Amino acid sequence: MKTNYRSPQQFFRQRQLRLWVVLIILIAIYWLSMAIVSFQTIPSIVKVPAGLVWLFKNFVPTQRSISYLGPILYQLWRTLLVAVSSTICASFFGLIFAILGAKTTTPSPILRVVIRFGASLLRNIPVVAWSMILLFSFKQSDFTGFLALFFMTLGYLTRAFTETIEDLDGEKLQALQAVGANYFQCVFCGVLPEVASTLTSWVLYMIENNLRDATLVGILTGTGVGFLFDHYFKSFRYDAAGLIVLLIAILVILLELSSTQIRRAIA
Amino acid sequence: MLKVIELDKTYGQDKHSLKSVNFTAQPGEVTAIIGPSGAGKTTILRSVNQLIRDNGGQILLDDEDIRQANKKELRKIRHHIGMIFQNYNLISPLTALENVLHGRLGAKSTMAGMLGLYSNAEKAEALELLAEVGLKDYAYQRCDQLSGGQQQRVGIARALMQHPKMILCDEPIASLDPKSTRTVMDILRRLAKEKQLIILINLHQIDVAREYADHIVGINSGAIVFEGPSQSVDDTVLQKIYRQADSTATVTANEN
Repeated sequence: MKTNYRSPQQFFRQRQLRLWVVLIILIAIYWLSMAIVSFQTIPSIVKVPAGLVWLFKNFVPTQRSISYLGPILYQLWRTLLVAVSSTICASFFGLIFAILGAKTTTPSPILRVVIRFGASLLRNIPVVAWSMILLFSFKQSDFTGFLALFFMTLGYLTRAFTETIEDLDGEKLQALQAVGANYFQCVFCGVLPEVASTLTSWVLYMIENNLRDATLVGILTGTGVGFLFDHYFKSFRYDAAGLIVLLIAILVILLELSSTQIRRAIA
Repeated sequence: MLKVIELDKTYGQDKHSLKSVNFTAQPGEVTAIIGPSGAGKTTILRSVNQLIRDNGGQILLDDEDIRQANKKELRKIRHHIGMIFQNYNLISPLTALENVLHGRLGAKSTMAGMLGLYSNAEKAEALELLAEVGLKDYAYQRCDQLSGGQQQRVGIARALMQHPKMILCDEPIASLDPKSTRTVMDILRRLAKEKQLIILINLHQIDVAREYADHIVGINSGAIVFEGPSQSVDDTVLQKIYRQADSTATVTANEN
C-alpha cells in the first residue's frame, strides 16, 4: 500500500481547503440557479415584510371567524380520522410486506425484489397524483382521500419497516433457530419484539405526516378540512381560512407532543 | 457422547475451513476448543447444530447422525442442544423470563410458540432456572437493562430450558469482565457435573481453558492438532496449536 507522509499541519490545511471549496461550490450553485429562474435575492427579501403585514391583516382570525368554528372542528375531526385510519391500515399491510421483503426474514429472494419494487413505486408517486388518479374511480369522497394516503403510506412504511428489520442483528434470530424455533416462531418471538418500538415511532410519524397531507388531499378530493379551506379561501373569507391553518397547526403540534410522550413511554 | 468424525467444510473453491476434523466430547465434562482466530472454532461449533452446513463427515450425538436429519428432525435435535453466544443474542426488549421461555419453542406447536402460550409448569420451571443461575430477582427485568454477565446467565437458563443433552458455547466469556467470567464458567462446570451435560466451548483464553476444561481440543488452520486432557496441555502443545501457518515466528504461549 502507498502511504504518503503528511505532517499534521499539511493534513489540516488540506482539510480546511476542502471545506472552503465545498462552500464556494454551494454558493455558486445557488447563484446559478437563481440567475436561471431570474430570481432576485435582495429585492425579494425586501418585499417580505410588506407581504407578512398583508397576511396578518387578512388571515388573522377575527371575532367573526369564531362562527365558523363548529364546521371547521367537525371537518378537522374527520380529516384526522382519515389520516389515522389510512396510516393504521397501511402499517398493518406494510408490516406483512416488510417481513416478506426484508433480507433477514424473506422466504424467497424473488418475492423480495417484487416487494421492494412495488413499495418504491407506491412511494414515488406523490400523494397529489394518487388523489387525482383515484378521483376518477372513486369520485369526490373521503374514501378517495383514504386510498390516496393509504397507497403512499404503504410504500413508505414498507420501506421503513424493511430497513428496520434488516438492521436487526441476524445472530439473534440464529439463536432462536438454534433453540429449534421455526420460521413463524422466529418472526413472532424474535423479530417483532425487537422492532416493535421503532415501528411504532414510524407509525406515529406517519400519522403526523398524513394529517398534513390529508389536508392537501382534501382540497383535491373535495372533502374534509382541506375542502373547507379551499371553499373559504375562494370566497374571500380569509379570516376563516386563517383559522383553519391555525387549528391545523395546533393539532399537528398536539399530535407531535403526544407521540413524543408515547415514544418515550415505550422506548 | 458427541463424536465428530471426518468433518469437512470448504468455503468457495478450495478455501478449506475444516479438514477432516475428529474429536469426541463426553457427558459430564467441559470440552474446550482452542486455537488462533480464524482457525475454524466457530465453524465447528455451528456445524454441530447445523447452523452452518458442512460438506462432509459425521456428527454423532448419542450415535444419531445430526447431519442426516431432515428439517423436522433437525428442529427436534436442536431442541435438545442449547447454545450460548459471545453477544448473548437475547431478544433484548423482552424480560429475562420471556427469553428463558424461548427455550421451549422447539417443543411447541407453531401457533403456541408464536403467541407465547406457555403452561404454568413451564413458567414455574423458567423461574426456577433463573434462580439456579442467580437471577431470581431479575425475572421481570428487560434484558437490555441487565449487565453482560447477567445476560449470559439468562442465555444459560434459556439453554437449560431446552432440557439439553449438550450446550454449545461460542466464545461465551469474550465480552465479560474477569468476575463475570468466573461466575459463568463456574455455572457451566457445575452443570456439566450435576446434569451430566456435554459442554462444548470455544475459548480464546488459554488460562481459563486450562482451569475449567476437562478435555481440550486444539485446532490450527482447520485441522485438529491436539486432543487430550487439559493437564497434558503444556508449552510445546500450545506452540503447536498457536503456530502461525505462514511465518516462522512462534507465538508465545500466553498470547491470545
